[in-house]
Parts: sequence; C-alpha cells; structure tokens
Amino acid sequence: MSLIAQLEKIDDYRWRIPQDKRRGMRTDVRVYASKSILDKIAKDASLEQAANVATLPGIVGSSLAMPDIHQGYGFPIGGVCATDMSSGVVSPGGVGFDINCGVRLVRANLSEPEVRPKLRDLVNQIFRDVPCGTGGSGFVKISPKELDHVLVEGAGWMVRHGYGEPRDAEYAEAGGALGDADPADVSDRAKERGRPQIGTLGSGNHFLEVQYVDQIADDDAARAMGLAKNQVVVLIHSGSRGLGHQVCTDFLREMGAAMKKYGIEIPDRQLACVPVQSKEGQAYLSAMRGAANFAWANRQGITHFLRGAFKRIFGEATQLDLIYDVCHNIAKHERHEVDGKKRDVLVHRKGATRAFPPGHPEVTPVYRSVGQPVFIPGSMGTASWVLAGQQGSMNETFGTTCHGAGRLLSRAAAKKGRDLQSVLKSLEDAGIYIRSETKKGILEEIPEAYKDVDEVIEVVHNAGLAKKVARLRPMGVIKG
Amino acid sequence: MNEPFETLDHTADTGFRAWGATAAELFENSARAMLALSADTSAVEEREQKSVELESENYESLLVDWLNEILYLFDSDAFAPKRFWVDEVTPTRLKARLAGEPRDPKRHPWTLIVKAVTYYELKVEQRNGRWESQVFLDI
Repeated sequence: MSLIAQLEKIDDYRWRIPQDKRRGMRTDVRVYASKSILDKIAKDASLEQAANVATLPGIVGSSLAMPDIHQGYGFPIGGVCATDMSSGVVSPGGVGFDINCGVRLVRANLSEPEVRPKLRDLVNQIFRDVPCGTGGSGFVKISPKELDHVLVEGAGWMVRHGYGEPRDAEYAEAGGALGDADPADVSDRAKERGRPQIGTLGSGNHFLEVQYVDQIADDDAARAMGLAKNQVVVLIHSGSRGLGHQVCTDFLREMGAAMKKYGIEIPDRQLACVPVQSKEGQAYLSAMRGAANFAWANRQGITHFLRGAFKRIFGEATQLDLIYDVCHNIAKHERHEVDGKKRDVLVHRKGATRAFPPGHPEVTPVYRSVGQPVFIPGSMGTASWVLAGQQGSMNETFGTTCHGAGRLLSRAAAKKGRDLQSVLKSLEDAGIYIRSETKKGILEEIPEAYKDVDEVIEVVHNAGLAKKVARLRPMGVIKG
Repeated sequence: MNEPFETLDHTADTGFRAWGATAAELFENSARAMLALSADTSAVEEREQKSVELESENYESLLVDWLNEILYLFDSDAFAPKRFWVDEVTPTRLKARLAGEPRDPKRHPWTLIVKAVTYYELKVEQRNGRWESQVFLDI
C-alpha cells in the first residue's frame, strides 16, 4: 500500500502514517498540514523520505513533517527527528549541507514612508557592501588562526573584533555560539573553503530583504520584539557557506564507511548515520558546532555591513537592532518530555526552526513572557512572518515549528515559460526593487515556485506550535 | 554537437545525467556536466595542470569524491578547470588530470553555487552499451 493511502487524519492540522515494519519503520510519521497543503505535499517524495527517517536507530517519538515539507535528499526539508543521546544515532544528512542555515531579523528606527523614496539607493548600497559570494570573497579578512577562534566563539568573536554591537550575540539562539566545538575536528579543506566567505550571502534561496511590518497579529509579542506597524526591518537568510558544506561532505563520506562497523542499515546512503556516542558521531557533532558558529559569525558580518549601508543612505543616527537569530539546519542536545518521562535527545532540525514557548529558560529574557521569536520567510515578493514559540511545540514537536513556505516547483519548472522582464515588472508593480547576481536566481525563486506562506503559518498557529505576531512585506530584495 | 549530459529536475535542487563510451569518459563528462551547471568557465585558459588521485569503495562513491574534489578546488579560490582527463578508473581508484588556471573570481564567477554532491539516487551503470551516471547536487 502506498504511503499516501496509509495517511490517517488526526484533526484538521494533523495527519499520521502508522509505523510499517515491512519498511523498517521504528515509529510513525506525524504530518502537520491542512488538507490543501497535504495534497501538495503528496506530489513529491517528501512523505516517503519522512518514512525513511522513521527507520533510524534510536529515534524517539514520531518522525515529524512540518507544513513546509518538501523533497530533499535522504531527509526531507521540513523534517524533524529526535534520537536518544545514549542509544540513538546522529545523521549529518539530518542537518544538511548548509549547517546552521538560518535567518535573523533586524529592526531599523525608520518607517516605510521614510525609506521608500531612497529604496533604490539603499538596495544598491547593500548590494555593494554585502556580496553574495558568486564572484569571490567577502570583506572580512581573517587569518587561519583567527578562523579557529571564530569556530569556537561564533557571533561573539565578530562583535569583539568590531563587527557588531555588544548586545548582538545575546539576541541569537544559543547566544550565537554552541559550546564544545573543537576546530581540530573541522578539516583543513573546510577551513580553506570557508575562510574568505564570512560576510557573504551565498546563492540559491539565500537572500536579504528590506521589509516593513504590514500587520500586527499580537500586540504584546510585537511590543516585546520592538515591532510597530510600518516599521522597516531587514530579514537575512544565510548559512555556513563552503565551510559547512565541506564538513557535511567529509562526514557523510566517513560515516558511509563507518556504518558497516556499527551494523547499521538504512534505505538511502544520504541518511548515513553512526551512534551519537561513537568516535565518529562525537567528531561530527564537534565539527557541526564549529560550522554552526561560523554561520552565526557570517550572519553577524552581514549585519555589520548592512548597518554601514543604512548609515550611508540615512545618516549616522540610523539604528539597526537585532531582534533575534534562529537556525533551521542543526542537531542539538536538548531535554524533552516524552510519554511523561524527561529524555536527553538529539533533535535534528532539517529545514525546521526551534520555537521554545514562554517561560523556557533558554529564551532570551526580554522574550521570555511571549515565547521565542521565529521568522518564516515567504517566497520572494510575497510576505514573511514573525511568530513566537508556543507550548504545543514542547508537547508535540520537540520545541519545533516550520521554517519557510516550502518549495512547490522545481527550479526548471519555475523558469519554464517565464521571462525575466515580466517577472521584474510584476515585482516593480508590487513596489519591490530587486538586485541579483544572476538572472537565474530571480526566475528560480518566483513566488509561484513556493506554497502560500499564509497557509503554512495558519497550520502551525492553529496547531499551537507557534503563534502569529506580525506579517512583513518586502520592499527591496538582494539575491545571490 | 549535443553535449554528453543533461540536467535533471528536483523540487529543491538540481542534478544531471551524463554518459560516455567508457568509465573514464563518463567520469570526464560528469565533471563537465557539473561545471556547466555551476560556473562560467568560458574565459578560463589552460595554463597549468593538476593531478588528482582518489580511492573509494565503488564507482558511485568514487564519482562523488571526484566531483567534490573539483568543487573544492574551485570554491577554495584555488583553481578554475577547463578540461579533464581521466587516465585510469577502476571501481575503487581514480587517476585524473585537470587543465585550467588559478581562479580569478572576476573572470570565472559561479553562476550557481553548488554546495555539495549528494549520494541521493546516485547511479553509475552500464546500459545499452554505454556508461551512464545520475547525480544530484545540493544548491
């Protein structure tokens, strides 16, 4: 029987694929989706991939699929799985090549009507100051020795070396650095690839958007985050660049060979995994934390150059404050209650965002009464959302919610029959000015290539994983 | 002349299928396929050569290693390749040469940053009297 035929409805926002032992599944799959989103999800291999994740040794709870899920390689993108810290496995594919790919939101002390007349100048300035890296390196020059410090200290290193303001590092998941990262576990190749790339966006779906708040959904939470209607904000989406990609490549190779030693069999080599407590597992986690710290340093570098660009256009009094920074490709050791018992688990979030609820001690103090900020980018030219984590995420999804709108069309399908001029015209008609290094970048990321972000947000809001705080509309877009 | 490779579709990423009369030719054409997707190397001149020797478990993982090697050479700003020769390839061993020049990002930009070569639905096989590969790339 096909997986789609096995889908059982739990309620309007929850579905289930029961454990199928013939497929080697050790648990069930839980899908967060409305009926209309589920119909879209069912069109690619993402549910089959979520079922493959359910075969991982030591998986705790269900293999989870967020409403933005789409087909990846091995793990689906928008998938979450927790494994037991002592008897489970760690899988680099469950984090992905772009380790700590994530988003940060920065608010400006400017309103939409103030920025609109100088929008083109601003976007052109940012485009000059924040390179996407397709043409080469960024403006942060560091030595190999300094890179080792970045791998340990993350955003904090950047702040201490003049690339940020003192409060920046506090306003990030994990304070912008994960502990227990040993630079010796990151290969020289990874370091060589990453060293020139701090402060660069990358290509593909990475971007920087100048946006404004067009709707406030929750007054208290918006106030805690310093958001008001028409306020200008900047959303930055980037990751660990070549350094993280190489770490994942290195360990996929190593683990592919090591699995035999541990007697692990999996349905797809891209799911390669080893016991968390094994030598290889510990080395990967150390290198992954280093790459995650590099990604925070990268987003911090981008923030620094962004500030410079705003000041150049709007004057020295322009203030840009970091609201928060979240990762959406990461594996983290957390404690969660499962069937009434506290368990130490490794939560793999592959295209999914941590969404801790109000009162959680790991939430930055200013947000502790409203829940951890979560940012959900929509497709280019539509809308993005600010959410706040809710208790439902702790009860059901290991403190996790979705990470984006989720792709619907392949890149080739997105480009088919569309020309650049008409796409640019429709964006311009919507008041959006865009700069991109490549034409391909624009055509592949057209709004039609993604699910409707509002519909995705409706699911996580109604399922109680995260609540709506504010909706953001784009004005200026920079794409790799 | 038609190129000995074609692009494949995937919801989030991209890939290619390549072919050749021999395993060596297949590995050369797979390298060309990835390069055509990811970088504009029209301005690259064949000024120097690099040698690569790799060992792996089988043809599939050897192909991933070979392509990752090229990616690494390009991304670390070291070397922009123009031409590939695979001098020897067995299921576990590859010896190859690349001709190109030191990378100049202004003249040899990425058109698409390939993050990595994946093992997802990876194939190297002999079919209809020729060698074929299928590779998906994370972009």
